[in-house]
Amino acid sequence: MKIVVLVKQVPDPNAVRFDPRAGDIQSGTPQVANEYDLHAMEAAIQIKEQQGDVEIVAVSLGQARETLNRCLAMGADRAIVVEDAALASGDSAVTAKALAAVLRAEGFDLILVGQETSDGGTGSVGPALAALLDVPVVSNVVALEKQDGRLTVQREIEDGRQVIDLAPPAILCALSGLNEPRYPSLKGIMAARRKPTEAKSAADLGLADDAAQSRVSWGQLFVEEETAEGIILKDVDADSAVDQLVAFLQERKLV
Amino acid sequence: MTNGASGVLLVVETRDGAIRDTSRELFGIGRTLASETGGSLAAVVLGSGLDAAASEAAALGADRVLVADAPELAAFTVDAYAKAVDAAIDATGPALVLLAGTTGGRDLAPFLATRRDAAYLVDCIRIGRQDGAWVGTRPVYQGKVLTEVRAAGDGLTFATIHAGAFEAPELEPGRTAETTPLELSFAPGEIRVTVKDLVQAEAGPSNLEQAEVVVVGGRGLGEAANFKLAEDLAAVLGGAVGATRAVTDLGWRPHYEQVGQTGKTIAPKLYIGLGVSGAVQHTVGIRGSETIVAINRDPDAPIFKMADFGIVGDVQEIAPKLTEKLRAVRGG
Repeated sequence: MKIVVLVKQVPDPNAVRFDPRAGDIQSGTPQVANEYDLHAMEAAIQIKEQQGDVEIVAVSLGQARETLNRCLAMGADRAIVVEDAALASGDSAVTAKALAAVLRAEGFDLILVGQETSDGGTGSVGPALAALLDVPVVSNVVALEKQDGRLTVQREIEDGRQVIDLAPPAILCALSGLNEPRYPSLKGIMAARRKPTEAKSAADLGLADDAAQSRVSWGQLFVEEETAEGIILKDVDADSAVDQLVAFLQERKLV
Repeated sequence: MTNGASGVLLVVETRDGAIRDTSRELFGIGRTLASETGGSLAAVVLGSGLDAAASEAAALGADRVLVADAPELAAFTVDAYAKAVDAAIDATGPALVLLAGTTGGRDLAPFLATRRDAAYLVDCIRIGRQDGAWVGTRPVYQGKVLTEVRAAGDGLTFATIHAGAFEAPELEPGRTAETTPLELSFAPGEIRVTVKDLVQAEAGPSNLEQAEVVVVGGRGLGEAANFKLAEDLAAVLGGAVGATRAVTDLGWRPHYEQVGQTGKTIAPKLYIGLGVSGAVQHTVGIRGSETIVAINRDPDAPIFKMADFGIVGDVQEIAPKLTEKLRAVRGG
């Protein structure tokens, strides 16, 4: 069985700050593995541990060497990176088309991906791949079991949890409730050095010249003017802030 | 799609035969956008047992209602819902398909847009037409900032609408619309996943939905043990404790305490968020709160944009002081 895990390297969501002059996030924000993708990775490793004959391939589009190294150290067998700047800056449809080309060439029984990324956060790549590859997709996955060649997954929705039965090949989009991603062990980190990471270009994937053409463009980033007349205390010492808050609550007759 | 396409098609989700709130919110903006294309407003209502929902869609302002009523649509699956919406698109030929930003809408829109090679604007808080293009505004970087997204508008376009961004129109009782059933038949195996069960979230002992004061703890509390800060504060205010999805996912708190899109919706007199960043998933569940107070270390946390009173600072230092002070005030 081959499981392909799709991962993305993103600006650390805890470090993201808006730079109003640039109309973008501050440059030089440290990069990390997208959190949901690590849960997808962990799910793949757990299936492998459970049933043995599994190959795990971590695939990424854009700058992702550190993230792929982390996946290899966690337990992926090998990695593929598409380091094409034009494709990497495309919209989610471009991302999906590029990843679909990798997946078609590679073959797969199961595709695992994080529900969404912490940057663009469209949550579109899983369903778009399902359309391109003609396989079923289940999103918002919070539980996964593989037994007798079938998958039982739980999908968190507005009304509760759907319990779903399906057979591979399929695409599953992971939420963080799915599992607790392991930290790479020292042994895993050492082993990762001997595992291959293959770089592919758009040409290698046989993608047409217009494959990087986005249908949806992004403008500059901005924040809304503070519309609410909310009182926000910054750089106020804790005692004084608490006094002001209590006075506010008393004024509104909330205490 | 032809360039002559006009009008808007709404994808209307139901629950127990009634239109979901998030789908009701599509009708007002859908009407506005339909006029901008010079076309009419159609709605495809999906589910099982939909007579009431179909009339409601007319009362909410649809000119034409397509009713996709089938047992296969009782539970959401991408395969079944995509087939129904696809048929509705073919029947109405809209310029724009609008969906609610639900778990289902966020699956369906990219799936169908990809199949039809159409543009898709995600999670819009505003959307309009400029010189023939569709322009939306959406939150990115987990809601910390916004950006404008643009699609050429020269063919079929899809968009999902952020929950709570638009108000549902008033019902016009007695308003009617051309209503037709959408004939659907599903071949065996065509729906490739089987929904075997829907496990309702455990109600739990929590009285979150009735409480006048709710103290919600987020991941910013740092660790499960620090939830004591939220419990102590809630206790002194006679309130209930809630949690964000990040927190219940981490297993710090039970799922029945989760507030947000996939948890409970609350509308207390006073909401206090401790270490809550204000991700969309959470804020859609608290927007009915009368007064919102937030304490968080990150000055860019989106919760501060909706807070009536916010303190940027260390929640572990501030929360105990607040509890102590309130205890003194209430005791005295």
